[in-house]
Amino acid sequence: MLKAHIIKTRREFTVNVTLQLAQGSSLGLFGASGTGKSTVLACLAGIEEPDGGQVDLNGDRFFPPSLPLHRRSVGYLTQEPGLFPHLRVSENICFGIPRNGIHNPEQVRWIETLRDRLKLSPLWNAHASHISGGQARRVALARMLARKPRLVLLDEPFAGLDRDLVRELIDDLIDWSRALGFSMIAVDHQAEVLLRLCPCRVVVLEKGEIVQSGSWSELYNSPATPLLRSLLSPL
Amino acid sequence: MSLNRQWLARIGAAVFAVFLLYPFTALFAHIGPWQWTDDIRSPALASVRVSLLLTSLAMVVIVALGTPVALYITRCTTRERLVWQAVLLVPILLPPLALGILLTLAFGPFTSLGTWLEHYGVVMTNSATAFVVTQVYVGMGYYVLGAVAALDAVPVILQKQAALLGLTPAKVFLRVTLPLARLGLAVALTIAWVRAIGEFGAVVVTAYYPSGMPVQLWVNLQSFGLPAVMPLLIVFLAVALPLPWLVHVLAQRHRHA
Repeated sequence: MLKAHIIKTRREFTVNVTLQLAQGSSLGLFGASGTGKSTVLACLAGIEEPDGGQVDLNGDRFFPPSLPLHRRSVGYLTQEPGLFPHLRVSENICFGIPRNGIHNPEQVRWIETLRDRLKLSPLWNAHASHISGGQARRVALARMLARKPRLVLLDEPFAGLDRDLVRELIDDLIDWSRALGFSMIAVDHQAEVLLRLCPCRVVVLEKGEIVQSGSWSELYNSPATPLLRSLLSPL
Repeated sequence: MSLNRQWLARIGAAVFAVFLLYPFTALFAHIGPWQWTDDIRSPALASVRVSLLLTSLAMVVIVALGTPVALYITRCTTRERLVWQAVLLVPILLPPLALGILLTLAFGPFTSLGTWLEHYGVVMTNSATAFVVTQVYVGMGYYVLGAVAALDAVPVILQKQAALLGLTPAKVFLRVTLPLARLGLAVALTIAWVRAIGEFGAVVVTAYYPSGMPVQLWVNLQSFGLPAVMPLLIVFLAVALPLPWLVHVLAQRHRHA
């Protein structure tokens, strides 16, 4: 169970958000650009430190005090794949696996599954700095999942990718979240991506505050604010 | 830019390069036969050994002490960083002779630290220790400021991603920060190396003995004249310049790759 209350002061407004998420379930954070969605994810991951509040995951206190990042078992994927450019694709994917676990048969099978499902075989020995943006996102996804995190945080990781690839990646993620049992929080300002990725629950942010939360049908049927209505309306 | 203008700019740059490299024509100046007799050769070769060995030792100290400091500075607030950078600039901006005098006084028998060191047999004038300490003071500022720039160039998000993938801070440094900053760190080290191995003003005060190459060049110049300087000068240029020059060329190529 993730229990989070995050307070983080931004220049324009203060993010003040409370979230609860059962282990293995997913939650979409929806809203216009610059409403504090990415800040919430960054604070959950530990990339940014909240100014106040409390974050617990399955009884482990993330904040306060700030738990070191390497003890969190959190996967964090953003628009920038953040691959290590001095390493090969295979080395990037196996980066977080301890040396004593790299030859573990179960671990090897899992890495092979990721490699095959994400179609990474042709890239396996390529340098991370020599692959395309779309390929880099797939590698970043594999790298994040290779360690089997407890919580996966996705900050518009599919922006700019073609629709077929996005659909495939989302389907893979949903399958793996069921298989591995990780919780998932995704941020996007495209409702259709978020709806597919987190079909059950969505939270809407405006100026750092939650303005609506519930199911997607509630959101579409009775949007709480004019801005939300406009975000959900077709172009 | 039109072709003519481009050629004009190129010729201007070439004239500038000739101006910069012009001093090397002195190697072919008619100053009489070069002297490399026994009484010149032995101390000259000894000075090469002293310079190479003790400057290498100074570089080890500089890297060991300077790298953690540089890493700390990259994580400081802007205000604190300015304070550290101001401190690092002091030995860089200080006239070398003044630095030499200050070091001699500060580590000599006139201070408690100097007396304490002497009590334990650490001689801080005209000794290998004095030579290394002086070079550390001379080169440290250059290395740390260069290392800060190199470490700053490593994206913070990559280091945080590595931590989220389960790596401890030490492993993040070894597996991500260091490999990505290595060329910049090498450039910073070569600047410190060139600065330290060529140091004369401070070293001549603190460590006239054991004489390094710059001091020996000066001794030869004073005692025997220019013909006795040239062979050691060639050796000096050959051992001090190629490696740093190569590192800088590689760094530039990497930057433009």
